[in-house]
Amino acid sequence: MPYLGGEEALRELRRALSNPHVQADRLRYRAAVLRVIRHMAQGADVSGLFPEMVKASAAADVVQKKLVSLYVRAQAPRQPQLALLAVNTLRKDCAHPSPAVRGLALRSMCGLRMPGIQEYLQQPLLSGLRDKASYVRRAAVLGCAKMLQLQGDSEVDGALVNELYSLLRDQDPIVVVNCLRALEEILKKEGGVVINKPIAHHLLNRMADLDQWGQSEVLTFLLRYKPRSEEELFDILNLLDGYLKSSSPSVVMAATKLFLVLAREYPHVQEDVLVRVKGPLLSACTSESRELCFTALCHVRQILGSLPGHFSSHYKKFFCSYSEPHYIKCQKMEVLCELVNDENVQQVLEELKGYCTDVSVELAQGAIFAIGNIARTYTEQCVGILTELLGLQQEHITSAVVQAFRDLVWLCPQCTDAVCRALPSCEDTIQDSEGKQALIWLLGAHGEKVPNAPYVLEDFVENVKSEMFPAVKMELLTALVRLFLSRPAECQDMLGRLLYYCIEEEMDMAVRDRGLFYYRLLQSGVEEVKRVLCSPKSDPSLGLLEDQTERSVNTWASEFNTLAPVYGRERWALVTAHQPAEPSYTCSPCTDSRNRDTESLISEGNKEVLKVHPDTSSLTLIPDVYLTAEQFEKTWLSLEMSCHLSLPWCGTVHPDTIQTALHVVHIHTIAMSKAGVQPWKAYLSAQDDTGCLFLTELLLEAADSEMQVSVKQSEAKPEALQTFVSALRTVMGTVAGLGS
Amino acid sequence: MIGGLFIYNHKGEVLISRVYRDDIGRNAVDAFRVNVIHARQQVRSPVTNIARTSFFHVKRSNIWLAAVTKQNVNAAMVFEFLYKMCDVMTAYFGKISEENIKNNFVLIYELLDEILDFGYPQNSETGALKTFITQQGIKSQFQTKEEQSQITSQVTGQIGWRREGIKYRRNELFLDVLESVNLLMSPQGQVLSAHVSGRVVMKSYLSGMPECKFGMNDKIVIEKQGKGTADETGKSELGSGKQSIAIDDCTFHQCVRLSKFDSERSISFIPPDGEFELMRYRTTKDIILPFRVIPLVREVGRTKLEVKVVIKSNFKPSLLAQKIEVRIPTPLNTSGVQVICMKGKAKYKASENAIVWKIKRMAGMKESQISAEIELLPTNDKKKWARPPISMNFEVPFAPSGLKVRYLKVFEPKLNYSDHDVIKWVRYIGRSGIYETRC
Repeated sequence: MPYLGGEEALRELRRALSNPHVQADRLRYRAAVLRVIRHMAQGADVSGLFPEMVKASAAADVVQKKLVSLYVRAQAPRQPQLALLAVNTLRKDCAHPSPAVRGLALRSMCGLRMPGIQEYLQQPLLSGLRDKASYVRRAAVLGCAKMLQLQGDSEVDGALVNELYSLLRDQDPIVVVNCLRALEEILKKEGGVVINKPIAHHLLNRMADLDQWGQSEVLTFLLRYKPRSEEELFDILNLLDGYLKSSSPSVVMAATKLFLVLAREYPHVQEDVLVRVKGPLLSACTSESRELCFTALCHVRQILGSLPGHFSSHYKKFFCSYSEPHYIKCQKMEVLCELVNDENVQQVLEELKGYCTDVSVELAQGAIFAIGNIARTYTEQCVGILTELLGLQQEHITSAVVQAFRDLVWLCPQCTDAVCRALPSCEDTIQDSEGKQALIWLLGAHGEKVPNAPYVLEDFVENVKSEMFPAVKMELLTALVRLFLSRPAECQDMLGRLLYYCIEEEMDMAVRDRGLFYYRLLQSGVEEVKRVLCSPKSDPSLGLLEDQTERSVNTWASEFNTLAPVYGRERWALVTAHQPAEPSYTCSPCTDSRNRDTESLISEGNKEVLKVHPDTSSLTLIPDVYLTAEQFEKTWLSLEMSCHLSLPWCGTVHPDTIQTALHVVHIHTIAMSKAGVQPWKAYLSAQDDTGCLFLTELLLEAADSEMQVSVKQSEAKPEALQTFVSALRTVMGTVAGLGS
Repeated sequence: MIGGLFIYNHKGEVLISRVYRDDIGRNAVDAFRVNVIHARQQVRSPVTNIARTSFFHVKRSNIWLAAVTKQNVNAAMVFEFLYKMCDVMTAYFGKISEENIKNNFVLIYELLDEILDFGYPQNSETGALKTFITQQGIKSQFQTKEEQSQITSQVTGQIGWRREGIKYRRNELFLDVLESVNLLMSPQGQVLSAHVSGRVVMKSYLSGMPECKFGMNDKIVIEKQGKGTADETGKSELGSGKQSIAIDDCTFHQCVRLSKFDSERSISFIPPDGEFELMRYRTTKDIILPFRVIPLVREVGRTKLEVKVVIKSNFKPSLLAQKIEVRIPTPLNTSGVQVICMKGKAKYKASENAIVWKIKRMAGMKESQISAEIELLPTNDKKKWARPPISMNFEVPFAPSGLKVRYLKVFEPKLNYSDHDVIKWVRYIGRSGIYETRC
């Protein structure tokens, strides 16, 4: 094998490809092409061979065509002019007698990323949609979606959409599913593919022919359909019943979601469904495919949130096995926590106790916190186990136990005495910040029940200079002041020393300020200190509340089988936050209802037109209102956000152009960043004839992203707001068009 | 919808990268390597979110397969797709290893092209794929013209999993009942949890479009049939002990008519050509545990540990278990081990912190014992040894769930062969899944 991409190698390949003898021999020709691909995969620059390769694709050999298409797709973006050469051959291939070649040619053509390819694509795609081989139709249907993505924002061709809708009745199941996918992408702006009654019923009848991917996706599309009557609803549910027991877990989950969402007004049906999918879910939870098992466990947790005890009789299924990966063990522990009841609590606790001594620190601590959670209901047993664990004198175990105690004492005051008895002698083993904080808090808040509390805290005070964590020092200050209130004689001296250190020697400002705060508080007299510090030491109502909130199934049904349960609610909210979303109107119910009514495609199209040319009669902006920057800021801060949307934007900003353009429609600029600054911001104001103010912020994070627009309104007028927003959108759209 | 698919070796080098969507940038490949493959701590979750992009990964030996997407997809489907991808690759070139992937990269790109289009899963049945894929894996031969022309009839046919016009000179079928038995036992010999997950795998080499009917000793069916002649079956059941089994749940290949299963609980289907998984099931009741492990650990002072483990085989004496391996974990501070065993070979493997005891064969109703003395280095670490469970591997020639195949009938009305002409083979293999005894 020659060296990577040397000139020599390239020349040799070219010679081989253009040698007529090689071209005459099918196998040798194919081998030469394969060598080019190998070079490409190794990172060599083989772009020089483009003309020869295109020529090679003209050969009759299907294998060779496939190889060349791989090459062309990788190289086309780098050489758009030469790619045109390939287009010609590919177009010819679209009329090839073999369906495999036709399909391949269509796919390769749609995969070329070069400007202006659309005009060559249109004709072959349309004939592809009517091809007699389903293989070609499959490729063509998705090709339509690819083409529209290449085009970007241009108008959607209505004829094409109708053609795709009619292909939903195709014989081939994969064509049907591909049609749904393609329509969904093409009509994204209008809310995706419309599932009306005939389409829904048609899809339901075809379900059995689809493969697992198709079934899973069609079930997701059907979520959009709202049955007209109760009778129809139950017919659908009966028809789909078998899919709750499908062999593919993804189909089972998709079906479950559909059932839960459709039956949102029938809680007993929902419950029945969850009972029926218990088996399939449990078998997914114990399956050998770890990743699926993880996904299933996440969903089991979701279900348990609404139906605690749903899996209680199967608790043994959630015992961890030694060789399972860490993430499964953690999930299983969480599940175990939630399905504890009077009958199994003994066994579950025994099991969790076993995990507390696990080699993995994280797992061991997780198990301890799990026991701490169960302790809210079964306090005595759990406190016993936790106390026992302290005897092991392991750093990470003791730390976790003390933390669990702190949280527990707050929620279940009845266990305070038991906890206080266990506390002495913990201080030697705890090394980490979290553990120390918990211990110090406990000693401060319940110091009157721990005989040696002042002496333990004295040790901490003595070593405060070498203490690494500021949080521990702050906790120490609070605890010592609290303890001083209940046991003044023993604490006075060391409190003085600690305050002296914190104020005079401490470098961390937060600690110093806290020290000064307590110092001044103490100066104002003991009564005052007591008033400030002696708040209730527990809040049992919190614990009960947490246990009792069973969220109804409907709160999470729409999240089921998405990534939300997999990431967990909080993480998911974090991940999706600030994502440039579709414009969402917080105070405009009228737009919602209008969207709901649109069923047919024609009215969908009309609505788009309406938005672009707003009916100006409903909103008249006054030409000369001038807010000062201060007034603007004050009003801006006092108002709630009325509407947030993001506009497509590319290229740089020309502030002057924007300002002029906005001025034409009587929107005034209050302040604006200079051109090229990132992030770029602008503040705008406008007022209509009734005196309602519209304040707007434009924000462009980085070049070539989307422009974030936030609008605030002084009076809640949904119609006016909508017109204002569409006017703003039109202006910005025009400016963006000028820029590029 | 999948935005891209990457395959890495254990070092994090990209072997295959195929991007389907523009929203997945080049840096996604590196993001996964840096954040997951090269991460310090162990894998936290099979789904990772990096900069609003979700990475779903699956590991096969030391190869990482990652599917990437920016959308809110359903996780079960993506994982199932990755498994399917692994199956398909295995069917084409055997084990998924770095070398095989490098050798077959053109084939893999071709497969990725056919199975996924624009990020949407398309046809993924290995049998049906054969007609589209031109590259030969290690096994396949050159494609004939005839096969190419079959594409049209294949893809327009109503049955997606079988092509028409298949012919064999000898009509044969092989049925494998493959079970994996999982056990978690307490030191006192109490079963904490046990279940069998089984698969019925069928290899069919049958001509035409045969209609098959499969029967097994499912409790519900037997009881239903027994209703007519209740006395007789009652007697026979008493006579030969356990005859039928209770299946907790079972799932089937797409080809099985579910409606018929629901109404009559009969399993009838037109099988795909070649190998496929007919059914998957799970049982938890009345499991025959092929082995019992009885551990005895005694700590003699601080520096010595005495371990004695007895294994008992619990099945018919005429049957032979194979590939038996018992893994007895040892503490981290082990300095030396002396082992005495009556049968097989035992070795202390310091790198794995375990004594591995291997026995080639063992008949039923036998017993074997190993005893070991473990010397420990004195440490000042007060940490108690966690005592991981003793795990076991084996293979037995019966189904631990008790499942029996009662019949498999083949009907092909159009061609002239009948049920009697088909040569049928049935084989039962029970393997250990996670088979652990705590000590």
